[in-house]
Amino acid sequence: MASRRSGRHEGEGGVRFSRTLFIALLVLSGALIAFDRPDSRSIALSDFRSGFTDIAAPVLELAAQPVRWLKNIGPYFRQQGELAEENASLRQQLIEARYWEDLAYRQRDRIEVYEAALDIDTPATRDRIGAWTVADPEGPFVRARLIGRGRDAGIDDGYPVINLYGLVGRVFETGRRSARILLLTDLNSRIPVMADRSNARAILIGDNSAFPRLEYVGRDADIQPGDRIVSSGDDGILPRGLPVGEAVEARDGTWRVQLYSDQAPVDFVWVWPYQRVEVPVDEPDVPEAEQAIPVDATAAEPTPAGGDQ
Amino acid sequence: MRKPSERKTSHWAAAACALSVFAALVVQAAPTQLIDGVNIMPTWTLIAIFLWAGLRPHFMPPIIVFAIGLCQDLLTGAPMGVWALSYLVAIAAFRFRGEDGMPRDLPPILARFAGTLLLAHAIAYLMGSWSLDEWADLRPLIIEATATMLMFPLIAYLSLRGRRSSRTGFIGG
Repeated sequence: MASRRSGRHEGEGGVRFSRTLFIALLVLSGALIAFDRPDSRSIALSDFRSGFTDIAAPVLELAAQPVRWLKNIGPYFRQQGELAEENASLRQQLIEARYWEDLAYRQRDRIEVYEAALDIDTPATRDRIGAWTVADPEGPFVRARLIGRGRDAGIDDGYPVINLYGLVGRVFETGRRSARILLLTDLNSRIPVMADRSNARAILIGDNSAFPRLEYVGRDADIQPGDRIVSSGDDGILPRGLPVGEAVEARDGTWRVQLYSDQAPVDFVWVWPYQRVEVPVDEPDVPEAEQAIPVDATAAEPTPAGGDQ
Repeated sequence: MRKPSERKTSHWAAAACALSVFAALVVQAAPTQLIDGVNIMPTWTLIAIFLWAGLRPHFMPPIIVFAIGLCQDLLTGAPMGVWALSYLVAIAAFRFRGEDGMPRDLPPILARFAGTLLLAHAIAYLMGSWSLDEWADLRPLIIEATATMLMFPLIAYLSLRGRRSSRTGFIGG
């Protein structure tokens, strides 16, 4: 017994570091890395990941509470002196806001009438789902946030996520009680966007930097520094018009976007249960007379600017 | 056969090990940006694994090191296996061997931890980049490694003190 024990200790620091198990685990790790790729993740691995985060989310939520509390201490004491002045200013703003509120209601009613007349189905914003982030890994491999609500709350993959200032990202992994948001800055993030002023289209591509870059901007695209960049909705996955950020020109001449959502830490967010626009499967019935039009003739027809929706 | 008091101490040590690793994992993933825009987070899990692998090697067999790494991958959203593989290789390469296990002086522990840290982060960088099909951002890894190296002496010192103060060895034994 003594010799067996000393054999275990010899050269091992008191633990058996089994070579076979070690190699098996190395192979298993390698296989996991090879198969768990963000762009081609299997359903089984996705389910395993979301199942794990479902279990971990309540614990992380609990761990986040003291941090939130600590974060609020500083601003609380700092703001005490400014509160009276701010209160007076807010009262004034409230009076002015009442006028704008009345105006907004009138405009909403008017828009509803127009939409009914034009038969436009505008996605409603009132159904958005609020959630706290419970984990924010900012590592070298992923820019994501874990939120404490999932499929049970009506969240699903692909839904856009916004905070008070603008688009934060989209849901890419949904569990029952948790979901992971892929931030716009992540390497795998691709969002079709446009300049609000000129409707110039581009793809917003994350590169793990704070300023995602605008790609596929045409050679003569009308983009200027400070242009408001919004989602274009061209992919049918995100709604059109979600505020993304402001265009900035990098030193190398490329266009980047300063995100609105970066104005504050991504803490409380809203998930917008936006139903993606389905691509029609069947060919629509085209009258024979229209089918007879030559291809060149249809290509020559002018298309209305910005009329994609 | 071990005395009941020794067994009790071992249970306490096991509980302390499990709790510290659990806390390290949670803190690693939880939103802990106290200062807005500044995200400096040491690799607490590697510190916990390294210290426990030195103080109580039988608490940190390869399968446990692998499981901790995998949990970190899942919690942080990193590709599965990246941290599991890097911790496994780094601990296997730099763990304390021999009858005495971890020395009682700080400098050799620091030197060995620096090696572990560098190897773990280098492997994580390479494996993560392979998974992403492009070179990952090196800056967060460097910041993380620097923060870990700055924080480690304090944690190691406290662990060694705990080990010295109790001959029965609440932690170190």
